[in-house]
Amino acid sequence: MTTRKTDSTREENLDAIEAHLAGTLKPVAPPNGILQRLHGRIQMPSRREIVLRLTDWRRLFFVFGGVMSGMLLLVTLARMFYYLGGRKDAM
Amino acid sequence: MSDSEYNEEEVLARASQGDRDAFGQLYERYLERIFNYVYYRTGNVHDAEDLTARVFQRAMNHIKNYTDRGVPFSAWLYRIAHNLVANWHRDRSRKQEIPLDDLPILPTKGDHPEKNLVRSQEQEALLRMIRKLPPERQNLLILKFVEDMSNAEIGAIMSRSEGAVKSLYHRTLLALRDQLEDQNLNLEGE
Repeated sequence: MTTRKTDSTREENLDAIEAHLAGTLKPVAPPNGILQRLHGRIQMPSRREIVLRLTDWRRLFFVFGGVMSGMLLLVTLARMFYYLGGRKDAM
Repeated sequence: MSDSEYNEEEVLARASQGDRDAFGQLYERYLERIFNYVYYRTGNVHDAEDLTARVFQRAMNHIKNYTDRGVPFSAWLYRIAHNLVANWHRDRSRKQEIPLDDLPILPTKGDHPEKNLVRSQEQEALLRMIRKLPPERQNLLILKFVEDMSNAEIGAIMSRSEGAVKSLYHRTLLALRDQLEDQNLNLEGE
Protein backbone atom coordinates (compact mmCIF):
# COMPACT_ATOMS: atom_id res chain seq x y z
CA MET A 1 0.00 0.00 0.00
CA THR A 2 2.77 2.38 1.04
CA THR A 3 4.86 1.41 -2.00
CA ARG A 4 1.92 2.12 -4.32
CA LYS A 5 1.42 5.50 -2.68
CA THR A 6 5.13 6.33 -3.01
CA ASP A 7 5.03 5.32 -6.70
CA SER A 8 2.07 7.55 -7.37
CA THR A 9 3.81 10.45 -5.59
CA ARG A 10 6.92 9.92 -7.73
CA GLU A 11 4.72 9.90 -10.86
CA GLU A 12 3.15 13.15 -9.70
CA ASN A 13 6.68 14.52 -9.29
CA LEU A 14 7.29 13.77 -12.99
CA ASP A 15 4.19 15.75 -13.88
CA ALA A 16 5.41 18.63 -11.73
CA ILE A 17 8.83 18.51 -13.40
CA GLU A 18 7.17 18.56 -16.82
CA ALA A 19 5.09 21.56 -15.80
CA HIS A 20 8.20 23.36 -14.57
CA LEU A 21 10.11 22.52 -17.72
CA ALA A 22 7.29 24.06 -19.73
CA GLY A 23 7.47 27.17 -17.55
CA THR A 24 11.25 27.42 -17.69
CA LEU A 25 12.13 26.50 -21.27
CA LYS A 26 10.20 29.18 -23.10
CA PRO A 27 11.05 30.75 -26.45
CA VAL A 28 13.05 33.91 -25.95
CA ALA A 29 12.82 37.01 -28.07
CA PRO A 30 16.31 37.96 -29.30
CA PRO A 31 17.02 41.65 -28.60
CA ASN A 32 16.55 43.92 -31.62
CA GLY A 33 20.23 44.83 -31.69
CA ILE A 34 21.16 41.18 -32.10
CA LEU A 35 18.62 40.69 -34.88
CA GLN A 36 19.96 43.71 -36.77
CA ARG A 37 23.57 42.59 -36.39
CA LEU A 38 22.64 39.09 -37.55
CA HIS A 39 20.89 40.53 -40.61
CA GLY A 40 24.01 42.52 -41.38
CA ARG A 41 26.32 39.53 -40.95
CA ILE A 42 24.40 37.21 -43.18
CA GLN A 43 24.40 39.72 -46.03
CA MET A 44 28.12 39.24 -46.48
CA PRO A 45 28.98 38.34 -50.07
CA SER A 46 29.48 34.67 -50.70
CA ARG A 47 32.83 33.25 -51.81
CA ARG A 48 31.44 32.82 -55.30
CA GLU A 49 30.53 36.51 -55.46
CA ILE A 50 33.98 37.54 -54.28
CA VAL A 51 35.54 35.35 -56.98
CA LEU A 52 33.21 36.87 -59.57
CA ARG A 53 34.18 40.36 -58.46
CA LEU A 54 37.86 39.53 -58.70
CA THR A 55 37.46 38.21 -62.22
CA ASP A 56 35.61 41.35 -63.32
CA TRP A 57 38.67 43.12 -64.76
CA ARG A 58 36.96 46.41 -65.52
CA ARG A 59 35.67 46.74 -62.00
CA LEU A 60 39.01 45.69 -60.58
CA PHE A 61 40.75 48.30 -62.74
CA PHE A 62 38.54 51.08 -61.35
CA VAL A 63 38.98 49.90 -57.76
CA PHE A 64 42.76 49.64 -58.17
CA GLY A 65 42.89 53.03 -59.96
CA GLY A 66 40.80 54.62 -57.21
CA VAL A 67 43.03 53.26 -54.45
CA MET A 68 46.24 54.39 -56.25
CA SER A 69 44.81 57.87 -56.94
CA GLY A 70 43.80 58.24 -53.30
CA MET A 71 47.24 57.20 -52.09
CA LEU A 72 48.94 59.59 -54.54
CA LEU A 73 46.76 62.42 -53.30
CA LEU A 74 47.69 61.66 -49.69
CA VAL A 75 51.42 61.55 -50.54
CA THR A 76 51.15 64.87 -52.43
CA LEU A 77 49.37 66.53 -49.50
CA ALA A 78 51.96 65.17 -47.06
CA ARG A 79 54.80 66.50 -49.27
CA MET A 80 53.07 69.86 -49.55
CA PHE A 81 52.76 70.25 -45.78
CA TYR A 82 56.34 69.09 -45.31
CA TYR A 83 57.56 71.66 -47.85
CA LEU A 84 55.47 74.48 -46.35
CA GLY A 85 56.63 73.57 -42.84
CA GLY A 86 60.27 73.55 -44.00
CA ARG A 87 59.97 76.99 -45.59
CA LYS A 88 58.43 78.43 -42.43
CA ASP A 89 61.35 77.11 -40.34
CA ALA A 90 63.91 78.56 -42.84
CA MET A 91 62.34 82.05 -42.53
CA MET B 1 5.12 36.60 -46.69
CA SER B 2 2.16 34.80 -45.14
CA ASP B 3 2.22 31.09 -44.42
CA SER B 4 -0.25 30.38 -47.21
CA GLU B 5 2.02 32.04 -49.78
CA TYR B 6 5.16 30.36 -48.49
CA ASN B 7 6.08 27.18 -50.28
CA GLU B 8 9.19 25.79 -48.65
CA GLU B 9 9.98 23.28 -51.41
CA GLU B 10 9.93 25.99 -54.03
CA VAL B 11 11.94 28.40 -51.88
CA LEU B 12 14.48 25.65 -51.14
CA ALA B 13 14.82 24.81 -54.81
CA ARG B 14 15.54 28.46 -55.64
CA ALA B 15 17.91 28.86 -52.69
CA SER B 16 19.89 25.78 -53.72
CA GLN B 17 20.35 27.36 -57.17
CA GLY B 18 22.02 30.35 -55.56
CA ASP B 19 18.99 32.65 -55.23
CA ARG B 20 19.93 34.92 -52.31
CA ASP B 21 16.39 36.25 -51.88
CA ALA B 22 15.08 32.72 -51.46
CA PHE B 23 17.73 32.02 -48.86
CA GLY B 24 16.72 35.27 -47.18
CA GLN B 25 13.19 33.92 -46.82
CA LEU B 26 14.48 30.75 -45.17
CA TYR B 27 16.66 32.89 -42.95
CA GLU B 28 13.75 35.06 -41.84
CA ARG B 29 11.71 31.98 -41.09
CA TYR B 30 14.27 30.12 -39.00
CA LEU B 31 16.44 32.83 -37.45
CA GLU B 32 14.64 33.10 -34.12
CA ARG B 33 14.22 29.35 -33.76
CA ILE B 34 17.91 28.67 -34.31
CA PHE B 35 18.84 31.55 -32.01
CA ASN B 36 16.62 30.08 -29.28
CA TYR B 37 18.17 26.65 -29.67
CA VAL B 38 21.74 27.95 -29.56
CA TYR B 39 20.93 30.33 -26.71
CA TYR B 40 19.66 27.54 -24.48
CA ARG B 41 22.57 25.27 -25.43
CA THR B 42 25.27 27.87 -24.76
CA GLY B 43 23.63 29.93 -22.02
CA ASN B 44 25.26 33.00 -23.46
CA VAL B 45 23.66 35.70 -25.62
CA HIS B 46 26.90 36.77 -27.34
CA ASP B 47 27.95 33.27 -28.30
CA ALA B 48 24.37 32.52 -29.34
CA GLU B 49 24.55 35.50 -31.71
CA ASP B 50 27.89 34.43 -33.14
CA LEU B 51 26.94 30.78 -33.54
CA THR B 52 23.56 31.62 -35.06
CA ALA B 53 25.29 33.71 -37.72
CA ARG B 54 27.71 30.85 -38.39
CA VAL B 55 24.85 28.35 -38.70
CA PHE B 56 23.29 30.41 -41.48
CA GLN B 57 26.59 31.14 -43.16
CA ARG B 58 27.36 27.43 -43.24
CA ALA B 59 23.84 26.67 -44.45
CA MET B 60 24.21 29.27 -47.21
CA ASN B 61 27.53 27.81 -48.34
CA HIS B 62 26.25 24.23 -48.34
CA ILE B 63 22.63 24.61 -49.36
CA LYS B 64 23.47 23.14 -52.77
CA ASN B 65 24.32 19.89 -50.99
CA TYR B 66 20.97 19.82 -49.22
CA THR B 67 18.72 17.27 -50.77
CA ASP B 68 15.34 16.45 -49.34
CA ARG B 69 15.59 12.78 -48.37
CA GLY B 70 12.63 12.89 -46.06
CA VAL B 71 14.60 15.08 -43.66
CA PRO B 72 13.00 18.50 -43.36
CA PHE B 73 15.12 21.60 -43.96
CA SER B 74 14.61 22.59 -40.31
CA ALA B 75 16.19 19.29 -39.23
CA TRP B 76 19.17 19.97 -41.49
CA LEU B 77 19.58 23.43 -39.95
CA TYR B 78 19.30 22.11 -36.39
CA ARG B 79 21.98 19.52 -37.17
CA ILE B 80 24.31 22.26 -38.34
CA ALA B 81 23.51 24.18 -35.16
CA HIS B 82 24.05 21.06 -33.06
CA ASN B 83 27.47 20.41 -34.64
CA LEU B 84 28.60 24.01 -34.17
CA VAL B 85 27.43 24.03 -30.55
CA ALA B 86 29.26 20.72 -29.95
CA ASN B 87 32.47 22.22 -31.40
CA TRP B 88 31.96 25.30 -29.26
CA HIS B 89 31.65 23.18 -26.08
CA ARG B 90 34.74 21.17 -27.08
CA ASP B 91 36.78 24.32 -27.64
CA ARG B 92 35.68 25.72 -24.31
CA SER B 93 36.59 22.56 -22.43
CA ARG B 94 40.02 22.55 -24.11
CA LYS B 95 40.64 26.13 -23.08
CA GLN B 96 39.42 25.24 -19.57
CA GLU B 97 37.52 28.46 -19.30
CA ILE B 98 35.50 29.45 -16.28
CA PRO B 99 32.09 27.78 -16.35
CA LEU B 100 29.26 29.75 -17.90
CA ASP B 101 27.18 32.04 -15.82
CA ASP B 102 23.55 31.22 -15.51
CA LEU B 103 21.43 32.01 -18.49
CA PRO B 104 20.94 35.75 -18.66
CA ILE B 105 17.32 36.74 -18.66
CA LEU B 106 15.89 37.48 -22.06
CA PRO B 107 12.24 38.36 -22.40
CA THR B 108 10.15 35.30 -23.04
CA LYS B 109 7.43 35.60 -25.61
CA GLY B 110 4.01 36.43 -24.29
CA ASP B 111 5.18 37.39 -20.83
CA HIS B 112 4.80 40.77 -19.23
CA PRO B 113 8.13 42.62 -18.91
CA GLU B 114 7.77 42.78 -15.13
CA LYS B 115 7.38 39.02 -15.04
CA ASN B 116 10.62 38.59 -16.94
CA LEU B 117 12.60 40.48 -14.37
CA VAL B 118 12.15 37.81 -11.80
CA ARG B 119 13.03 34.28 -12.72
CA SER B 120 12.29 32.15 -9.75
CA GLN B 121 15.00 30.29 -7.93
CA GLU B 122 13.30 27.03 -8.85
CA GLN B 123 13.62 27.82 -12.53
CA GLU B 124 17.25 28.79 -12.09
CA ALA B 125 17.92 25.52 -10.30
CA LEU B 126 16.14 23.58 -13.02
CA LEU B 127 18.12 25.35 -15.76
CA ARG B 128 21.37 24.48 -14.01
CA MET B 129 20.32 20.85 -13.87
CA ILE B 130 19.33 20.82 -17.52
CA ARG B 131 22.72 22.22 -18.49
CA LYS B 132 24.41 19.35 -16.67
CA LEU B 133 22.50 16.74 -18.68
CA PRO B 134 24.17 14.99 -21.64
CA PRO B 135 23.89 17.05 -24.86
CA GLU B 136 21.31 14.81 -26.53
CA ARG B 137 19.00 15.14 -23.53
CA GLN B 138 19.44 18.91 -23.51
CA ASN B 139 18.61 18.92 -27.24
CA LEU B 140 15.50 16.89 -26.62
CA LEU B 141 14.20 19.22 -23.90
CA ILE B 142 14.94 22.36 -25.90
CA LEU B 143 13.29 21.03 -29.04
CA LYS B 144 10.29 19.79 -27.09
CA PHE B 145 9.63 22.80 -24.90
CA VAL B 146 11.25 25.79 -26.56
CA GLU B 147 10.56 24.78 -30.16
CA ASP B 148 7.32 22.96 -29.29
CA MET B 149 8.14 20.03 -31.56
CA SER B 150 6.49 16.63 -31.60
CA ASN B 151 8.45 13.45 -30.86
CA ALA B 152 8.41 12.61 -34.58
CA GLU B 153 9.92 16.00 -35.51
CA ILE B 154 12.54 15.65 -32.79
CA GLY B 155 13.30 12.15 -34.05
CA ALA B 156 13.96 13.52 -37.55
CA ILE B 157 16.49 15.97 -36.15
CA MET B 158 18.15 13.54 -33.77
CA SER B 159 18.08 10.60 -36.21
CA ARG B 160 16.03 8.50 -33.81
CA SER B 161 12.65 6.83 -34.00
CA GLU B 162 9.62 8.42 -32.39
CA GLY B 163 9.60 5.63 -29.77
CA ALA B 164 13.26 6.16 -28.97
CA VAL B 165 12.63 9.87 -28.43
CA LYS B 166 9.69 9.09 -26.14
CA SER B 167 11.82 6.69 -24.14
CA LEU B 168 14.73 9.13 -23.92
CA TYR B 169 12.33 11.82 -22.74
CA HIS B 170 11.01 9.59 -19.96
CA ARG B 171 14.55 8.70 -18.86
CA THR B 172 15.45 12.40 -18.87
CA LEU B 173 12.52 13.21 -16.61
CA LEU B 174 13.55 10.40 -14.26
CA ALA B 175 17.13 11.71 -14.20
CA LEU B 176 15.90 15.20 -13.37
CA ARG B 177 13.67 13.84 -10.63
CA ASP B 178 16.58 11.90 -9.12
CA GLN B 179 18.75 15.01 -9.21
CA LEU B 180 16.02 17.04 -7.52
CA GLU B 181 15.65 14.40 -4.83
CA ASP B 182 19.43 14.27 -4.33
CA GLN B 183 19.49 18.00 -3.81
CA ASN B 184 16.35 17.94 -1.67
CA LEU B 185 14.65 20.37 -3.98
CA ASN B 186 10.89 20.39 -4.10
CA LEU B 187 9.18 21.92 -7.07
CA GLU B 188 6.02 23.72 -6.16
CA GLY B 189 3.09 23.50 -8.57
CA GLU B 190 3.16 25.90 -11.53
